[in-house]
Amino acid sequence: MSALTFTLKTQPKQSVDMSPITPDLLADKSLAEIQAIPLQCGNQQLRADALFEITGSDSSQLVIHSSEKLNYLGAKLGLKLKSGNLTIHGNTGAYLGLQMKSGAITLHGNAEAFAACEMAGGLLHVHGNVGDFLGGALPGNRKGMRGGTVIITGNAGDRAGDQMRRGMILIEGNVGSYCASRMLAGTIGVMGKMGVYLGFGMRRGTLLLFNSPALSPTIQDCGSHTLPFLKLMFKSMRGLPSKFAQLENNRVRRFAGDAAVDGKGEILVFGE
Amino acid sequence: MLTKLTGGKVYDPANKIDGQIRDIYIRDGRIVERPLEHEPVNQEYNLSGKIVMAGAIDMHTHIGGGKVNIARMLLPEDHRGDPVAHTELCRAGCGHVAPSTLTTGYRYAEMGYTAGFEPAVLPINARQAHLEMGDTPIIDKGGYAMLGSDDLLLRMMAAKRDQNAINDYVAWTMHASQAMGIKVVNAGGISAFKFNQRFLDLDEQNSHYQVTPREVLNTLSRAVYELGVPHPLHVHGNNLGVPGNVETTLNTMAGVEGYPIHLTHIQFHSYGTEGDRKFSSGAARIAEAINQRKNVSADVGQILFGQTVTASGDNMSQFRNAHLGSPHKWVCMDIECDAGCGVVPFKYKDQNFVNALQWAIGLEIFLLVDDPWRIFLTTDHPNGAPFTSYPHLIKLLMDKTFRNDVFSRISPDAQAMSTLASIDREYSLYEIAIMTRAGAAKLVGLHDRGHLGAGAGADITVYTDQPDREAMFAKPDYVFKDGELVVKDGQVVKVTWGATHTVKPEFDRGIEKEIKKYFDAYHTVNMEHVKVTDQHIADDGRGRVQVHECKGRREKTTA
Ligand SMILES: [Zn+2]
Repeated sequence: MSALTFTLKTQPKQSVDMSPITPDLLADKSLAEIQAIPLQCGNQQLRADALFEITGSDSSQLVIHSSEKLNYLGAKLGLKLKSGNLTIHGNTGAYLGLQMKSGAITLHGNAEAFAACEMAGGLLHVHGNVGDFLGGALPGNRKGMRGGTVIITGNAGDRAGDQMRRGMILIEGNVGSYCASRMLAGTIGVMGKMGVYLGFGMRRGTLLLFNSPALSPTIQDCGSHTLPFLKLMFKSMRGLPSKFAQLENNRVRRFAGDAAVDGKGEILVFGE
Repeated sequence: MLTKLTGGKVYDPANKIDGQIRDIYIRDGRIVERPLEHEPVNQEYNLSGKIVMAGAIDMHTHIGGGKVNIARMLLPEDHRGDPVAHTELCRAGCGHVAPSTLTTGYRYAEMGYTAGFEPAVLPINARQAHLEMGDTPIIDKGGYAMLGSDDLLLRMMAAKRDQNAINDYVAWTMHASQAMGIKVVNAGGISAFKFNQRFLDLDEQNSHYQVTPREVLNTLSRAVYELGVPHPLHVHGNNLGVPGNVETTLNTMAGVEGYPIHLTHIQFHSYGTEGDRKFSSGAARIAEAINQRKNVSADVGQILFGQTVTASGDNMSQFRNAHLGSPHKWVCMDIECDAGCGVVPFKYKDQNFVNALQWAIGLEIFLLVDDPWRIFLTTDHPNGAPFTSYPHLIKLLMDKTFRNDVFSRISPDAQAMSTLASIDREYSLYEIAIMTRAGAAKLVGLHDRGHLGAGAGADITVYTDQPDREAMFAKPDYVFKDGELVVKDGQVVKVTWGATHTVKPEFDRGIEKEIKKYFDAYHTVNMEHVKVTDQHIADDGRGRVQVHECKGRREKTTA
């Protein structure tokens, strides 16, 4: 069986809510049913086949040729089915992988804001850059990403891991300002450079950094340490398709904060 | 154009009609006497077997003004979770506990309500409140202007100014904010909060002005009475939500020297301190006091289980309760030294002892107050529950079996502290019509609403008599607003725009010099810009102001 493949016929003029197109929701549907799925495009509803060329049949291996007008790609992936893969070629809009629970999303392109928003499990692998609020919460909600793994090969925008409470975000490139702001728990790794106000309002959680950050006065230097637990953490990363899988050195400089709130977050900087 | 509603079973307490079969005639938006034989009926609705009442009036519902907007901003999830698509007639909207203005109007109309009164219009924010209400379709609206913690009144009282000067200031405020009444919230307490007082009892002084809540209540209830304003002083008491506040509430009733007062959301002010958890029902004592004191009326502010948001001018109590909020986020703020504001989302749970007992206390009050003309059906929307839960509340009042069934499922500890199951009373349709129509119109001072006699505005709701009162009141067959059919089978079929009800008591314009001086010295805006004129309300052709009669300025009464 060949992968069920959606290819945009033309660039839509308005943004499209793609949340109905996931392996979970397409599992038992015939091609005719899939073609007739109504998709909200701006202020009107269009049939799926009005927007997409639809080929193939295996909905558990869904492929979408996307553009930045497509929002909510892979939303709630794995909520009903335990497995299911979504591969996306091209850029995507906001809310990629919103509240996904299991399975994998692989994006070859860039995503806009709120990727991995309130993600609960599974793997989101972006070969490209993402916008602001990676792994954050929906506007107004108080808890962001709560499980799963996010790997970004490029850069992430501002507020990465805002209100994050569990899971792992590994960014191989740079990250914007307010990284780990209001973070509740979980792990964020950043191989590149960071913007300002790192760990602003961070309550708990762990940051793994490879460049020395500019830190606010409410984040305190706790000195250099060799931390045995890092060996265990590295072991858990071994199988991941990321540069983070090769980490060995468990000697770090440790900072703690944000003392303006709980102050139990730890910022570990390698190579210092 | 003459419309005839034929053969319905009419409940019109203002005209003492209790379930008799009557025909109703409508011409030019008004109910008229039976016309002469030869006059042609242009349109007839056969209502045989149907229940006919005047359109319902919500005399206390937060549908406009700053705090509602803050609640909307605070709860984007409420809007995401309840989107309403546009139809050919109606515009899109959203929101369950803090709906958008348009959705609010449609939903009220679809439930048979034809008027709603916003109880917390801050004079400085009156324009915002009226703009929002002006954007609320179909229903009539109006507001009560909030005084009692405003700097100018407290300054005047601290300076021991003559009651006549205060009356003039109160009347000026009603004109400027296009109000139907005056509301006082935690008298003096909103101001005291800003001077770091966290509780303020009836005879405790505001530390800055040396004025007590009792003095504020006396001054304002007397002002409203002497100005001839039909709606008595609308009182949100002190110590909201505090166990033991039943004493404060009883003292408040006793303390206003016989002037008429309306105690709002009294459920939140009827708590005792008995039992293991020092939280008990004061409903029996409150109901007893209301039964005895004819100058007192109350609306209940019933809580119903589920998610809602509390939005109040009472920053003191909202700050106290902020840690109980769910989801955990809240706003407390000052508003231009005029008043304050607190918004705290709440989720009332039937297995939570306190919430379950609050629910029972509200129902006890409903059932123990004898006179339905002085007790009103509210949830203090959205503080106790969104207004869309009214049909459920009506069923709780009208159906003892249903009520006891729900009661048997709430927290057992709360059950043990409540007498609810032993109360046999069931409200009749006539009594519901009093509470939600005739009584509400009389209390607010609407001479031509809430009844079906000749001359009344033709706001009429028609239901199918069903044993399930919730289903019955949720979906009327027809709703007429000013004679036009606006809802059929619980769906909006025509969008109209209601009037804004106000009163304009006479006063000595000389007071304006003093008020202007105050504005020039202390305010962020010019006094003239605070005044909301009739023209502002009517501006886009959708609104209009309807001025109701004041009794004329009464002579200075002696206390
Ligand atoms: Zn209220």
